[in-house]
Amino acid sequence: MSENKFNIKLADKVIELDCIYPYIKEFCKDYLTDKRPEIFIRILPADIEFEREKAAKEDVYEGIPKREFPADYLETVAAYRKIATKMLEYDVLLVHGSCIAVDGIAYLFTAKSGVGKSTHTHLWERCFGDRFTYINDDKPLLAVSENGVIAYGTPWDGKHRKSNNVSFPLKNVCFIYRKNENHIEKANSRDVFLSLLQQVYRPDDVALMQKVFSLMDKCISKLNFYSLGCNMDLQAALVAYNKMNERN
Amino acid sequence: MKLKKGFVIHNTSSDYVAVATGEAGETFNGMIRNNKTANTIFELLMTDTTATAIVDKMVEKYDAPREVIEADVMSIIAKLKEAGFIDE
Repeated sequence: MSENKFNIKLADKVIELDCIYPYIKEFCKDYLTDKRPEIFIRILPADIEFEREKAAKEDVYEGIPKREFPADYLETVAAYRKIATKMLEYDVLLVHGSCIAVDGIAYLFTAKSGVGKSTHTHLWERCFGDRFTYINDDKPLLAVSENGVIAYGTPWDGKHRKSNNVSFPLKNVCFIYRKNENHIEKANSRDVFLSLLQQVYRPDDVALMQKVFSLMDKCISKLNFYSLGCNMDLQAALVAYNKMNERN
Repeated sequence: MKLKKGFVIHNTSSDYVAVATGEAGETFNGMIRNNKTANTIFELLMTDTTATAIVDKMVEKYDAPREVIEADVMSIIAKLKEAGFIDE
């Protein structure tokens, strides 16, 4: 196997990554495996260029100065996009959110960037100590089945690099927003689908997008959804935890 | 006249949603929440049709005067054209 061709295991699937730069293998070091791959992903220079142009367009849209990203970083972005697309064939969905576990049960906190997902889950870490585990602080993978949803760690874990190569059953999803007084309630069912849709990976293909919709429907039938308005006090974690663990 | 290629419609128990992929996604990177009427028009525009044909189908489906339905249909089509979602 060439230096930049290696296998990783994500969401119980073995993936062969055939890459251009050496950085990505180091990036994936906690997920390397020598098991036989079932998924094959190859990154081409055109894939890196696609990510460069996409990032530039997003900067223009956001009205910020154009950022330059190194090619080996863009390769990691290109790789995860290809992985997320392929994983849909295996009923695995990529979602943007901070995913953590307490006592072996996963919780997903989702919102637009900058609202405070990572800040909130860090409060959980402080509250629960040894009972707490980071699954993935930015873009976990969710395996969706008739039995429920399992959340998986991956190396694509955000700027604080908080993740572990673990998986736990996911039961609860919180849509987070900032609020002076901590308050959590069941999410309005009319808003759940659209709110979730804003945070899942949306492939650029009709059939795959229909698959995303189907997986979302299944997630919605299996999980509890909450709307959490919170501040940065430690109490915010307890308010959220207690509500989500109420006996009905 | 029809919607640009790449729109994907999905209906849940409480929502009618449309997302743009492919060619449609080149000019629109968001998602659309339709009401029932707009969703019906979206569905009809997934294949090549005319405003008159849409109005005819809506008149069969809804119990409202033709002029009212026609005004709604034309208003929605105008918004879709303005957004760049329609191929003439």
